Amino acid sequence: MLEVLHALLFSTLDAVPALVFAALGAVLSERAGVVFVGLEGMMRVGAFCAAVAALVMPMSLAVGVGMLAGAALAAVHGFLSIRWRSDQVVSGIALNLVALAGGTFLLESLYGPNGTPALPQAARWDVPGLASVPVLGALSGHSAPTYLALVLPFALQALLTRTPLGLRLRAVGDKPHAVATLGLSVAGLRWGAVLGGGLLAGLGGAVLSTCVLGRFEQHTPAGLGFIALAAMVFGRWTPVGAFLAALFFAFGDALRIGLASSAPGLLEVVPQGMLQALPYVLTLALLTLQGQRSSAPAALGVPYEQESR
Amino acid sequence: MPERLRQALPSVLSVLLALAVCWSLIALTMTPGTATAAYVEMLWGGIGNWPAWLNGAAATVITRPLGEAAMKAALLTLTGLSVAVAFKVGLFNIGAQGQMILGALAAAVVGAHVSLPAVLHIPAALVAAALAGAAWAGLAALLKLYRGVHEVISTIMLNWVALRLVDNWLVIGPLRGVAEGGQSITGTAEIQATATLPRLLGELSRLNLGFPLALLLAVVVWLWLERTRTGFETRAVGLGAEAARTAGVPVAKRTGVAMALAGAMAGLAGAVLVLGTEGRYPGTLGAPYGFDGIAIALIGNNHPLGAMGAALFFGVLRAGGTRMQLLDVHKSFPELIQGLALLFVAGRMVWLALLRRHEAAASVASVEVPRA
Repeated sequence: MLEVLHALLFSTLDAVPALVFAALGAVLSERAGVVFVGLEGMMRVGAFCAAVAALVMPMSLAVGVGMLAGAALAAVHGFLSIRWRSDQVVSGIALNLVALAGGTFLLESLYGPNGTPALPQAARWDVPGLASVPVLGALSGHSAPTYLALVLPFALQALLTRTPLGLRLRAVGDKPHAVATLGLSVAGLRWGAVLGGGLLAGLGGAVLSTCVLGRFEQHTPAGLGFIALAAMVFGRWTPVGAFLAALFFAFGDALRIGLASSAPGLLEVVPQGMLQALPYVLTLALLTLQGQRSSAPAALGVPYEQESR
Repeated sequence: MPERLRQALPSVLSVLLALAVCWSLIALTMTPGTATAAYVEMLWGGIGNWPAWLNGAAATVITRPLGEAAMKAALLTLTGLSVAVAFKVGLFNIGAQGQMILGALAAAVVGAHVSLPAVLHIPAALVAAALAGAAWAGLAALLKLYRGVHEVISTIMLNWVALRLVDNWLVIGPLRGVAEGGQSITGTAEIQATATLPRLLGELSRLNLGFPLALLLAVVVWLWLERTRTGFETRAVGLGAEAARTAGVPVAKRTGVAMALAGAMAGLAGAVLVLGTEGRYPGTLGAPYGFDGIAIALIGNNHPLGAMGAALFFGVLRAGGTRMQLLDVHKSFPELIQGLALLFVAGRMVWLALLRRHEAAASVASVEVPRA
């Protein structure tokens, strides 16, 4: 039993970083009031650029390239939605469509339909003294992103709730006019949050292609960006909440994959499709229960205009 | 400049810019000559190879491409209408994809497992698909009206619920089709001949009843929005729900009905795909026409006829996209053009600002001429 739990936790922690980073990126941007529907596209671009870069340069640099690519896409989003006050959902959807078709086009013209060549395996780190402890030993033996994913949510939470900058970022998502009254730049803060969100989304994509999948496939990230959005909503737009939701979703997925190989009989009672739909159903259920008391930032998706009230 | 032209201009410029950007993309990765040749292939693949026909080729060099373009245009028109109708009542329907999946499934089930004469079977399958789509969209409307859940989030979630439940469970499980030899096949069972949408040109092309149906619906929706009281009230809710409520418009009812109508359109798109071309619900629906609908509606300026126009244009491009493969350009290339066009349309304010500056410059110039 303990061994099963160990294996489940291990594969959860192996798969979760991409989801965590993407969800954190979405939290950062949406807390500042900019809708982040383009997350899937930013992840795709980050994953593609990191995979291509990893073929010619060290892994850590390649991940940086992926992050910059995500931020570049986020910059387009920021230009349209902050500078020109476009509809943020439209801009995000457009980025998703461009990344989907553009990624396929570039992949086919550079490498053919089957994806990039396989990438070298990421180095795995052991936590000294932990590997032999039952269950907790699952924390040991992962690649670097996993450990970052375990720390970053708390760092971002501290940034948002304990620092003046975090207060301003949250305020710009709830009441931008109040921030402007203090003489701070609403656009500047939102730009920072969107670019930061893009970096994180690109990191998520880069980690997905370089560490988790070991290549860029034609459908990468195959909806993971939308699960990250669900995790953000499920975690009530807080970094730690989104992190826990991401862990929960990833654990559910590891459980499903584990069951599929070890106990296929059980999956005839509860089909895989139902389990795969569960994160979205739970998110919907939570939103339904919360109703009007939703924790979404008050000015989410509302373009800021100085003259409006 | 007439107001109507000014409204349409950003979309037209966006599409042209997207075409130019994508041309340069091929020119950079291959050669400029290839890029131009690929665009010509795309054109002949979409509207028919007229030069070949004039040189004596069979009529199918024109009817086949046109039929393919019409099929794609029908699907894009329906999903575009779905998004546009929801926009008119002030809701952003990102869920057209999920509604389309359920509509396709309903059409496939009614088409395969109900026995009726063709006169009744086709309408029955279409109605079932419309109802399934409407129900899925209605769920989002109910959540919005009674629990205040934002429709963008709920429809995104509902898309994935539909996809996972249908593609990863129903179609490979309880509803999986069985071929004649007793082997199971991917997707649901073949629909019966009585449920198949008739082809309008017989063997000349795959053009089927779905295309005129989609065009008819676009006109009907436009007339409903522009010429009827309920349509007017629907638009009033979209422009300002509070003002509409004060004026005595039943806001909740108009919202619910419009969203259900949006779902019905997306559901019908699924039905046209299943009854017209696929013949069953395949393992997976393939191209995300529901998401394309968002692009089509917005490029068409959220006007039913505008969406129809955008759908016809991109239907032609996408049918032609398969021909681009002859030059090693991936067939999803037109989707890239479409995505970029949407991105440029999203920058509508940029276009309007540019146009305004241009007009201002022109008027200043005209003032200065007599002075000189």
